[in-house]
Amino acid sequence: METLADLASPIAIGVLLGGLYVVIALGLSLVFGVMKVINVAHGDLVILGSYFAYVTSTSWGLDPILSLVVGIPLFFVMGIFIEKFLVHRAFRMSVDAALIIAFGISLIIQNAAQLVWTPLSRGLMTSYTLESLKIGDVYLPVVYLVDFAMALVVVLAVHQFLKRTYLGQAITAASQDSETAQLMGINPARVYQIAFGIAMALAAIAGVSLALTFPFTPKSGVPFLIIAFGVIILGGLGSMVGTFIGGMIFGLSQTLGGHFLGPTGQLLVPFVMVLVVLTIRPQGLFGR
Amino acid sequence: MQNTVRRYMPLISLGVVTIVLAVLPKMGVPRVWPLYLFHFFVFLAMANMWNLLAGYSGLLALCPAAFIGLAAYTMTILTWVDVPFYVGIIAGGAAAALFAAIISPSVFRMKGVYFAIGTLVVPEILRLVFLRWRPVGGELHGGGAGYMVKGMAGVTMEHTYWLGLAIGVASVIVMGIILRSKLGLGLAAIRDNDATAASSGIDVFRLKLYSFVIAAFIMGVAGAIFYSYQGYIEPSAGFNIKWLMMALLATVIGGKGIEGGPLVGAIIVVIFHFQLARYGELNLLIQGIVLVIIMLAAPQGIMGLVRDVRKAGGLGALLRSASRGRIRARQL
Repeated sequence: METLADLASPIAIGVLLGGLYVVIALGLSLVFGVMKVINVAHGDLVILGSYFAYVTSTSWGLDPILSLVVGIPLFFVMGIFIEKFLVHRAFRMSVDAALIIAFGISLIIQNAAQLVWTPLSRGLMTSYTLESLKIGDVYLPVVYLVDFAMALVVVLAVHQFLKRTYLGQAITAASQDSETAQLMGINPARVYQIAFGIAMALAAIAGVSLALTFPFTPKSGVPFLIIAFGVIILGGLGSMVGTFIGGMIFGLSQTLGGHFLGPTGQLLVPFVMVLVVLTIRPQGLFGR
Repeated sequence: MQNTVRRYMPLISLGVVTIVLAVLPKMGVPRVWPLYLFHFFVFLAMANMWNLLAGYSGLLALCPAAFIGLAAYTMTILTWVDVPFYVGIIAGGAAAALFAAIISPSVFRMKGVYFAIGTLVVPEILRLVFLRWRPVGGELHGGGAGYMVKGMAGVTMEHTYWLGLAIGVASVIVMGIILRSKLGLGLAAIRDNDATAASSGIDVFRLKLYSFVIAAFIMGVAGAIFYSYQGYIEPSAGFNIKWLMMALLATVIGGKGIEGGPLVGAIIVVIFHFQLARYGELNLLIQGIVLVIIMLAAPQGIMGLVRDVRKAGGLGALLRSASRGRIRARQL
């Protein structure tokens, strides 16, 4: 039973870390599900959210989580504009064009962030950053718990929104069959804008979570983007439940991989799992 | 007679340009020219092969970095066991091609954007593998510390330049042959509609595999040549997403799915690379803005725009027909 006690800590941390990954992957998954566009700029949008939280907490002294009260609407509106003026025009041409536009946006955000905030590594310091909770023999950092709580709230909120509200149902309808949705009086162009706006708002939330947990630089978006893709592939593209479970699996296999193979094995294990899932079940564990 | 001349004209001009470029370093040109041109050749080879994949085979492969890093690592590691680096370059290309063949059954199961996402993850996995794996040199070398390329004594910039020229020209010739062969025809059919292509008796998987493996080989050789010039490789540079950005930028700016596109695109990317290098972040920022503007204004790239202008008979005519089209679209 000795080994089980040793494993308790990586398992707990893995699940909590999975929560952070879920929030990062959710926006990517939503845009993909609705528009079939791979938003490769999502990682950088998340980092933009981190910098927003960094700026508000250092210059206004606001708590990062409270800063979301401003951050979410701001990012939502920004998302609508990005979709309307950039992504949508490319989206009408082809999926490749939208992908390439997203690459361009990613380059712009990354390097603009470097110009404004320098390439230095930043982090958010709050009163609870270094605190941890002791449960049994396991120490759980408070920020990881906060991440997980935020993930739960966000997933439930998005799920309820898509299920219960008219707009959410319109988004679901447009993602299932945009032509039929159009016949039912839904304007896909508007739905896409809203979906992109929501994805951006999710990026703002993910950015705060990430900044609380890890130090970040303007280039941190890419590794997290690739992790988010791993999560989505594991869970199944465009499936909410799949994304949630994919995130948990990814986080768990990362911490367990680190436990058994050392620090360099951390991300290797989940990515090898991603490759195996791709080979056996290309649509992901919960994909349609 | 005239037809024969016209037919062999591109071949003759390619030959002449190659010879001129080959003797260029001996003619006392400024020292930076070979450096610029070397980068141009490597970028050209990359962009040509990415064009083969994305523009002609319908394979939006986001994994050029995997081929480059793998080939460069193969070359570097072989120099540690006393294999000459030029043998290593070919071995590197072969390793990249073999890797492409191995991963093809799993990645080809995904279609379109799914394929793109799947291939995006591949270089990241290799990066993590090479962070752990230290095949030669004991505990001090390899891993995150990377490897020096050994056995490069006596190799000058001129030699490197010629190697670059060779792969650049080879990529142009390979592209030309593929596009004029049955393979190119089959690939175009797959790109346009793979179900119809399959029902017309085209072996979709095999043709995609051919273009994937050919592209991997040439990208790999180009990458190995580039790293023989750099003299040092480590995982986060070799498997960096910037390789993809470069190939994608050159192809899209020049014109995806157009034979001359990568040539024009690679020239522009090299100019950006050197002229804007001193501005650091601003360089990539401008590249990003250019990419977005070109994609929105001329989605077919510069060569595509040239083609449209020629077809319409002048820029004015093209603009007029475009605005007519827009009005018609509004009326509908």
